[in-house]
Amino acid sequence: MKRTFLSKRNALFASTGISWNVGVLFFALIVLFVRLLMPNLFWIAFTPLFKSANALSAQSHFFLQHFSDAAALASKNEQLMSENASLASENQALSQKISSISAIKDVSTGILAGVVARPPESPYDTIVIAAGSDNGVSVGMEVFGSGGVPVGVVSTITDNFSRATLFSSPNMNTLGWVGRNSMTLSIVGAGAGSMNATVSRSADIVVGDIVFVPGPGMLPIGTVTRVDSDSSSPSVALRIQPILNPFSLSWVLVRDTGMTFSSATSSPL
Amino acid sequence: MIRGLLSVFVFFSIIFFPWPFTAVLVLISAFFIPSLSLAAGLFADTLYYTPHADFLPLFTLYGALVTIVVLFVRSRLKTGSMRG
Repeated sequence: MKRTFLSKRNALFASTGISWNVGVLFFALIVLFVRLLMPNLFWIAFTPLFKSANALSAQSHFFLQHFSDAAALASKNEQLMSENASLASENQALSQKISSISAIKDVSTGILAGVVARPPESPYDTIVIAAGSDNGVSVGMEVFGSGGVPVGVVSTITDNFSRATLFSSPNMNTLGWVGRNSMTLSIVGAGAGSMNATVSRSADIVVGDIVFVPGPGMLPIGTVTRVDSDSSSPSVALRIQPILNPFSLSWVLVRDTGMTFSSATSSPL
Repeated sequence: MIRGLLSVFVFFSIIFFPWPFTAVLVLISAFFIPSLSLAAGLFADTLYYTPHADFLPLFTLYGALVTIVVLFVRSRLKTGSMRG
């Protein structure tokens, strides 16, 4: 069965909506006629409404402006937080640099240089520093780490960079002292950051004794970590570990101590 | 009831709310009361039309256009057939 649902009935004249359709039109026309025929009455009647509308508009504008300001503030806050994080990072880097430099500068004056490459980036037991002949560095100058600990000797230089051979380099032979009696010994680099030395058994060297090298006075460079002895030999072999880890060097001080080292590695950079 | 509320709110909106909001409201309510868009246009022009500044009472014309479109759409929707 097919039946028509509201066939051809104009919605404007539908029984359920006719009153509202006619009503709203009637209201609009009444208002229009009032304005045309009695404009003073019209404006007297609508002035309070317009004033209320203006007040509401101002309030809503203020309300929306508040959200706009909040968005701008949030954006500004995000920008400032980003800048703050960047500055904090920079501040931390500078603080680290200052602490490293101050630890070096406490010893004496010299040429401050950053370490460009260290083991294992550089050939082992050498470091590359960012100071060369233009900065006053020359071959044979001694390199000091944090706390004024000597770590090596400048072996080759260029205009802007230098390479220092650490005391632990296999070709390095350094005169020094060890023990409470300051027994003289010849320190030989053993590679891999360690050093060896041979002293008389009668020197009574034990594990933990400090090894010194000449500088302004006696400068500690390492500690005895092992004493190898052979009953048939009148001497003992010392295994020495450097005080400063060459892997952690970041800033060094280069200066001429006037000391003569028996040999220093010399190879092109 | 909803027609009464929509009508009052549309006329209220013409005075108190920005015109884009009112336009959207009129378009929505026109599907319940087709002549409301025409009445709203008339009311808006009654309030805001200035003969020397504007060439035509555009709100009334737009309202009439919306009323015609809504009536056409409603006539198409309501003249469908049901099978039972």
